[in-house]
Amino acid sequence: MSDIHFEEEDFQGTKVKASTIWRILSQVRPYTWRVLAFILAIGSVSSLESVFTWLSMQIIDRGIVAGDRTALTELVTIYGLLYIVFAVLVFAFIWLAGILGERVRYDMRKKLFDKLQDLSFNYFDRTPVGWIISRVTSDTERISELVTWGLVDTTWGLMNIITATIFMIAINWQLGLIVFLTIPVLIVIASWFQKRIVAEYREARKTNSKITGSYNENIQGVRVSKALGREEPNLREFSLLTDEMYRRSFRAAWLSALFLPVVQIIGSVALGAIVWYGGLQAEVGGMTIGAIQAFVGYVTFMLWPIQDLARVYASMQQSVASAERVFSLMDAQPQITNRANAVDPGSIAGDIVFDHVDFSYEDGKPVLTDMNLRIKAGETIALVGPTGAGKSTIVNLVCRFYEPTGGRILFNGRDYTELTLNAIQSRIGMVLQTPHLFSGTIRENIRYGKLNATDDQIEAAAKLAGAHEFIMTLEKGYEEQVGEGGVLLSVGQKQLLSLARAVLAQPELFIMDEATSSVDTLTEALIQRGMETLMKGRTSFVIAHRLSTIRRADRILVIDAGRITEQGTHQQLLRQRGHYYRLYTQQFRTQREQELETEMQPELAAGD
Amino acid sequence: MAVSTLTSHDIPQADFKARLSSNRLLGLLKMLGGMGGFGRLYMGANIALAIGALAKTATFLLLQYFVDNVLTQPDFGRILPTIALGFVGLALIEGAFTAWSGRMAAQTAEGIAQRLRNYLYDHIQRLRFSYHDRMRTGELIQRVSSDVDAIRLFFSEQAIGLGRILLLFFINFVALLTIHWQLALVSVICVPLVAIVSVYFCGKLERAYEHFQEQDALVSATLQENLTGIRVVKAFARQDYERRKFDKENWEHFQRGRKLLIMHAFYWPITDVICGAQVVGGFFLAALMVISGELTLGAFLAYLNLIGWMIQPIRQLGRLIVQVSTGMVSYERVSEVIRENREPLTDGKVQATPPARGEIIYRNMNFQYDTGERVLHDINIHAKPGESIALIGGTGSGKTSLVGLLPRFYEYTSGTITLDGVDIKDLPREYLREQIGIVEQEPFLFSRTIRENITYGVKRQVSDEEVIAAAQAAAIHDSIMSFPDDYNTLVGERGVTLSGGQKQRVAIARILLKNPRILILDDSTSSVDMETEAEIRSALASLMENRTTFIIAHRVQSVMHADQILVLKDGRIIQRGRHDELVDEPGIYKQIYDLQARIEDELEKEISGV
Repeated sequence: MSDIHFEEEDFQGTKVKASTIWRILSQVRPYTWRVLAFILAIGSVSSLESVFTWLSMQIIDRGIVAGDRTALTELVTIYGLLYIVFAVLVFAFIWLAGILGERVRYDMRKKLFDKLQDLSFNYFDRTPVGWIISRVTSDTERISELVTWGLVDTTWGLMNIITATIFMIAINWQLGLIVFLTIPVLIVIASWFQKRIVAEYREARKTNSKITGSYNENIQGVRVSKALGREEPNLREFSLLTDEMYRRSFRAAWLSALFLPVVQIIGSVALGAIVWYGGLQAEVGGMTIGAIQAFVGYVTFMLWPIQDLARVYASMQQSVASAERVFSLMDAQPQITNRANAVDPGSIAGDIVFDHVDFSYEDGKPVLTDMNLRIKAGETIALVGPTGAGKSTIVNLVCRFYEPTGGRILFNGRDYTELTLNAIQSRIGMVLQTPHLFSGTIRENIRYGKLNATDDQIEAAAKLAGAHEFIMTLEKGYEEQVGEGGVLLSVGQKQLLSLARAVLAQPELFIMDEATSSVDTLTEALIQRGMETLMKGRTSFVIAHRLSTIRRADRILVIDAGRITEQGTHQQLLRQRGHYYRLYTQQFRTQREQELETEMQPELAAGD
Repeated sequence: MAVSTLTSHDIPQADFKARLSSNRLLGLLKMLGGMGGFGRLYMGANIALAIGALAKTATFLLLQYFVDNVLTQPDFGRILPTIALGFVGLALIEGAFTAWSGRMAAQTAEGIAQRLRNYLYDHIQRLRFSYHDRMRTGELIQRVSSDVDAIRLFFSEQAIGLGRILLLFFINFVALLTIHWQLALVSVICVPLVAIVSVYFCGKLERAYEHFQEQDALVSATLQENLTGIRVVKAFARQDYERRKFDKENWEHFQRGRKLLIMHAFYWPITDVICGAQVVGGFFLAALMVISGELTLGAFLAYLNLIGWMIQPIRQLGRLIVQVSTGMVSYERVSEVIRENREPLTDGKVQATPPARGEIIYRNMNFQYDTGERVLHDINIHAKPGESIALIGGTGSGKTSLVGLLPRFYEYTSGTITLDGVDIKDLPREYLREQIGIVEQEPFLFSRTIRENITYGVKRQVSDEEVIAAAQAAAIHDSIMSFPDDYNTLVGERGVTLSGGQKQRVAIARILLKNPRILILDDSTSSVDMETEAEIRSALASLMENRTTFIIAHRVQSVMHADQILVLKDGRIIQRGRHDELVDEPGIYKQIYDLQARIEDELEKEISGV
């Protein structure tokens, strides 16, 4: 609740700023001719509608009333021909505006995605994924709607009102003016309704997402609810939400149902006036029957453009708010960028030095303070310590996902901010605690480490990483789909695949965050072997949870509250009987227990 | 949400199960028969709609009368105000009835949706465990949200929309027939054509739209995957590759959007041309008739207006028909859920009211799942009030199933289970569940405040002191006080994330407050550090006092003090006794115990070997 910044519909009170409108329009600047073309098309469609009414008047007055068959045939032919023009124009505006909408959405999504690839970790740390996705999907949708159908409706509505007024004034200027004067009144009423309808729908949508959330919890927590006999209070609470939902949606629907009739009735009063006045005029010969019919037509059909204009206006605020959020994402600056004159030295192998490094994610909350550390080329470093101590931070700094807020990090004697980001990050191999796989085949996922790798290279890497065996047990082998986020594989298997990916990349620096959850013994052994292959001759950082990894490291760093409290080899540290000793013995018990339990499993589970 | 105070609140409900039908359209309409008199309301909506349509048609007939009979009279100025009033009056009638119809339709649609939502919510929480075991959450959510919404739209827009089109068509057609029946017949030649084109195109549009939506989902999925995997993307410097990947999907989305658009761009002008040809043709014909004196001028004007109101709505027909079919599919999916049987909570031969003493006896009990999978064989247990029974055994040995039978989450197959001498099948589930408290291995907490989570299981008002006392006994009070809003801190996505150990202790506090006679503990402390483990252990000890307790154990430490230890394997009890009896007996228990000792040995060796 506190983080109002990420509220889904946080556009209440947004003022429609001219600068934002301008910027929205600038999204369509590359397609100016297209915009002009569809505005022209819809404008003509709208004018033709008024012309048709006028033609009907001519047909009645000059054809029918005058009894002139030739004039009638002529006029009807013109009417028919114009109708074909009309249809072509309808095609044109739907096509032009529609394609423009698709195009604008495509462009904006592309721009946003490109921007997202450049942004630094700090952006993703404080921005929920769901929020970003809404910006890229629904907000771009809204903006593209505004610049296309919003513009179509506006042009159509305005042109309709303008041409109808012109024709009316041409036919009978006094009456035309009277009708014209009712328009602002109708627009005010229409906007009043639309604003309220939009607001009610918005509330209904919010309530609806609460309802879905409530269903979700009810299903996931069904065991608890049943065990605690919570069925009745649950339903009572839920029904409060559905009550609210009923109220909101009913109000929205009722306002919508009321809206048109109200406007229509006002229109019909104008209509009554016309008939009265028109009748009087006809008496004295001022207005023809055709003209009266034309007036009735103009007034009746003027209600639609008014409704459309009001709707566009009411949803405008929402679209502008969408645009502001989209632009805020477009304007976000990556925190970490290449410095001017940054170079790619061709290699980053060599000693890594932390020189009085300070770091904090947020001001005033230091995570690392004055850290000094020298890692020799090829050394394997194990980082141990409680959650939140700063192990991941150290790794993130080494990868330059973040930069130190104080002090320097040197690669081979050179401040790493003098290097390009790509020079560092393209030479890192990384295996995460919960390895991320992309949907696609196993082969594609390994190839991620080196895009131009041959199939042979991929299999060789998988063999080195110890992943080949399990891959071959799968039905389609390397062509097996891993499912979205790799859901079809176990954590251990995912780790083996990401190890293979890292092997293929041939990194100069290897980083591994070990899984905490238990992995079966065989897979565990394979992972260990794969890690060993990778660490050989490479500077490696391991956030270690496994005893074997810890024991094998060249150096262990015990991290606590952002400081290195102890460091040395396994033996040295055990002898100190300090913090490491306690961590290790606890870890030993837990892990051995798990291991032995899995060993015992077949014995416990299988029959006699 | 202070919920426990809410007692007297009328919940709009209806029994949808009683109204199910295998015919989907009939089933939808039968929903109108639920509580609240929606049938009559909806009928009213349609009648009001018809009156509105009649008023509109009458306006045009009045126009005809005006032109033919009034304007032709020399002194029509006298009658003019009456005619003008007539127009305004008809407009008022039309407007009022149309709005009223909209109101009644909204009341019906929203009312049914609300009752359906309430019904499904309650239904789901009362369905059997076996249903929840096999149904995926996402699937169920889809049915209760989008499918219910589709049903709502059926009533609020589609059914009434179809009614509107048909009413407009028939009323205006009849009016036309009275004006000039031959002309009327000629004027509807295109109607079947428009209807066919409309249905044909809308079917195609619907499919193209689905195709488009699929790609839309793929674009989102690609984006989501990129964002959740952003560490990998950056670690391998694969930004350009990702850009190409996204662009491919984004471009495909553009293409599919374009296809959808082409159809729209053809549909509207094509129907425009058909309708236009009809109108212009009819127009011409009628005009000739007027000139030849076969038709009056007023009739011509009426014709002009009526024909427009008849033909234009037909273009919407296809869209509505397609939508009605989606509504029917949704109905089917929702009825599948409704058709499932609930678990009766209050049924039971013995309506026991006093708190249980807690003597539980399993006698020659067997259990198999609905699927026929046999999980427990010949179980005999006698738990005296206040005793603690530890169950130990590997995954799949049947520990969880064995305790899950007690609150009747599942029904045992043969033999008996008794509580205080009464077969549990004769006791209402509600009563049993009141007597039993369960602490799960990874308890589920609700996204509400900590306080609400602790008081979740009690139906009475609870004072702050009681809540704090429970939290203290569960060794979670201090952690809670360190949260930003202490007991009012929200749990979950919008608030604090609790560790496994903290969740477990909140669950313990919850059960302490509930104060049941019987406890079921899933004891897993391996994921927490030693200090926390000690705290949880003492919290558990205070919980178990004076209660019959079943402990699902994973390690020897947690069973050592149990009054009875049962070792399970393949659904059978293969060893039983107290710790001191079992450690000397050759068997699995001894093996497990020895393992523990071995670990300490190994550790000792390693450390001294340094």
